[in-house]
Amino acid sequence: MSKSGVIGSGFGIVLACALLTAAWSQPAQAEKVLRMAHDLSMGGKESLDPLSPVRFWEVNDLLYNRLVRLNEKGEIEPELAASWTPNDSATEWTIKLQEGVRFHDGSPLGASDVKYSLERINDPALESPVTSVLGMIDHVEVIDALTAKIVLSAKHAGLPILLSDYRVRIIPDGSGATIEQTGIGSGPFKLEEYDPEGRTILVANPDYWEGAPKLDRIEYLAISDADARAQALLAGQIDFSRVAQEQGPLFAGNPKFVLSEFPSGGWFGIVFRTDVAPFTDPRVRKAVRIAANREEMVKLLAGEGHAIVTCDNPVKASDPYRADLDCPQDTELAKSLLAEAGFADGIDIDLHTSNLETGMVRFAEVYQQQVAKAGIRVKLVIAPGDGYWDDVWMKETVVVTSWDERPADQILNEAYRSGSSWNESYFSSPEFDALLDKARASLDFAEAKQAMVEAQRMLFETGGTFIPYQQNVQFAYDKSLTGITPVIEDQIRWDLVDKAEE
Amino acid sequence: MTALETAETGETTGGSQVRGRLRRVLSSPSGLIGIAIVVAHVLTALFGPAIVPYDFALQDADAILQPPSWAHWLGTDMLGRDVFTRTVLGGREIMLICTIATVIAMLWGSLLGILLALVGGWVDNFVMRCVDAMMSMPWILFVMIFVAALGTGTAALVPILGVSYGLSVVYLARSATLEFVAKDFVLAAQARGERRRTIILKELLPNVRDSLAVQAAMQWSWMVLGVSSLSYLGLGVAPPTPDWGLMVADSRSMMAVAPWAVIFPMAALSSLIIGANLAVDAAAKSLGVDRNARPGK
Repeated sequence: MSKSGVIGSGFGIVLACALLTAAWSQPAQAEKVLRMAHDLSMGGKESLDPLSPVRFWEVNDLLYNRLVRLNEKGEIEPELAASWTPNDSATEWTIKLQEGVRFHDGSPLGASDVKYSLERINDPALESPVTSVLGMIDHVEVIDALTAKIVLSAKHAGLPILLSDYRVRIIPDGSGATIEQTGIGSGPFKLEEYDPEGRTILVANPDYWEGAPKLDRIEYLAISDADARAQALLAGQIDFSRVAQEQGPLFAGNPKFVLSEFPSGGWFGIVFRTDVAPFTDPRVRKAVRIAANREEMVKLLAGEGHAIVTCDNPVKASDPYRADLDCPQDTELAKSLLAEAGFADGIDIDLHTSNLETGMVRFAEVYQQQVAKAGIRVKLVIAPGDGYWDDVWMKETVVVTSWDERPADQILNEAYRSGSSWNESYFSSPEFDALLDKARASLDFAEAKQAMVEAQRMLFETGGTFIPYQQNVQFAYDKSLTGITPVIEDQIRWDLVDKAEE
Repeated sequence: MTALETAETGETTGGSQVRGRLRRVLSSPSGLIGIAIVVAHVLTALFGPAIVPYDFALQDADAILQPPSWAHWLGTDMLGRDVFTRTVLGGREIMLICTIATVIAMLWGSLLGILLALVGGWVDNFVMRCVDAMMSMPWILFVMIFVAALGTGTAALVPILGVSYGLSVVYLARSATLEFVAKDFVLAAQARGERRRTIILKELLPNVRDSLAVQAAMQWSWMVLGVSSLSYLGLGVAPPTPDWGLMVADSRSMMAVAPWAVIFPMAALSSLIIGANLAVDAAAKSLGVDRNARPGK
């Protein structure tokens, strides 16, 4: 080989290497990956079964579809159901399904899948918290391949809004035994790797019936500590996270991030188990709630203008069924109620909380200070974050709780109806249940509202849950992301979310 | 015979000896600084409540995250509480807990260690293997198991720390004693028919006293760090008691925005631990104890 030949071939090799390197790195740059974190609050038991009490909701939102969903304005819009029509008495609802929908395994969506998924809600073996919300579904009839009829055991004019529940997802007929592992749904993303304690990976479903998602992959990391999640976002390990009000300043002035805030019906609260003394006495329950100063709690914990005072009422401010109540701090009344109940010297409470969500411990500290004047001596017990919902909540007598917004009918039934599985305060009142039944049966809005308002007033008078305010939600995310609308996570259209190239 | 009967330390000159040692510790600059820092912390803890300008638990919705000012010398935290007040009082609980727990750890640990060295045989072997097994567990895990069972707060922390930190004292006291058990004055005491208790208290304890004293001071400073770590994790001192570890944990998310709420309690904690270590180092040197020749942590 001549000298120039050697130089030429050497140059060729270098060029080939350079091209290879370029080709190698090209697809990695082009792949759009969205990385998020979940809080591991089920301690690693997070389940892909959407109806499970330990549902992996962050991931399930991406794997499965509902029949209907709420749009940005809070109105119901079609998802898998193209239309829904009640009979005159609202005891039967006919659902027409979208055409051409396929599950991740290639099988087509049909009415039998709807029948299976909805009837499963009432399977006692599942112990699903959704039973208390949609327990009135008696059975579902398959009319034809794409038409199903939901038959209710009692009339309900507001069924569609309950079907928009984040857990009421349609899964393939007969897949209940395997769904927990396979995650086969009809959603915009498919499961690639399921590791709730590590990294769960989802890839785009190119055949998604609403069009292929804009992202290629979504990765969910387990980070149980709220501050660590915010730090991971700041450090660029994840791209999106819900952040607490007080974490806002970390992102507000930072040009790398978008901080979006919107009103929501979510809350931190304190649950006093109504089945455990001394909280079996409604006077004690009212005393421990009215002893707190809610306006000051808003100022100290959320900041003025970032939360709306609420009187132990779980229904959000913009909900048409919300009751307007007044609940100023009344230390004297709290004292006299305690004295009447036999606690003239005050009471001692062990309040369980955790660093699971930012501000949960501070919330308890503020409550502790405020109620001290009424003779309520609170001792804080700080539990570990992972597994908090499994090991502490609904087990200890007094705990800090956290809920996301839900429609009035759903939250009142789910958290307060006698015997419902997420009735965290073990509240049980036939009178209250009757009011909820009355509201559901009523086809007249004013009448239904009156019953709902009455039920909410009852909670304020006799309930076991202290809810001082409902706070705005804040999202912080990398500015390269688009399509993230100001609605809570299960209402975001993740298939439309995109990531611009850096 | 007289020489054999007396323990090697020479008890008679006790008072002047202590003064001499203290002088030696203070004559080294690092020892002087260390002791000054520790004394300052102890005085602050004792008289803190008289000098703080605010109630440590007072929450002020109108003064959240204020930077240092005349009204709040070290600023305020996320609940509008005065950082100066909380920093001044933040060492009280922890120093009290650690002092009582150190006394407990030293008492049972050193007595058991000396006894085992003296008794020897299978009892010594069996107990030491148990101690080995317990010490093989990471300290924080060991303590967390007890905290999970007994709960948090001062009443639970004192016995938990007293027990867990006593394990390494058993080790140290036993190995320090082994040097002496075969020496003539102990053998002579045994030959005289002295009771075991007398041998421990009169012959052995005086000889291992210096090592144990250094160990006690070390234990104390480890414990301060340990309890702060527990508080940081939410397993130590319960809110609203002001505590440095808890204050750091509370405000760490806001470090970029309000560094004062984290830096001052951190500085207080570090200075106490550094001070204690300097003092112990100087004391070890003046006593001729090799503080690195200890087992455990």
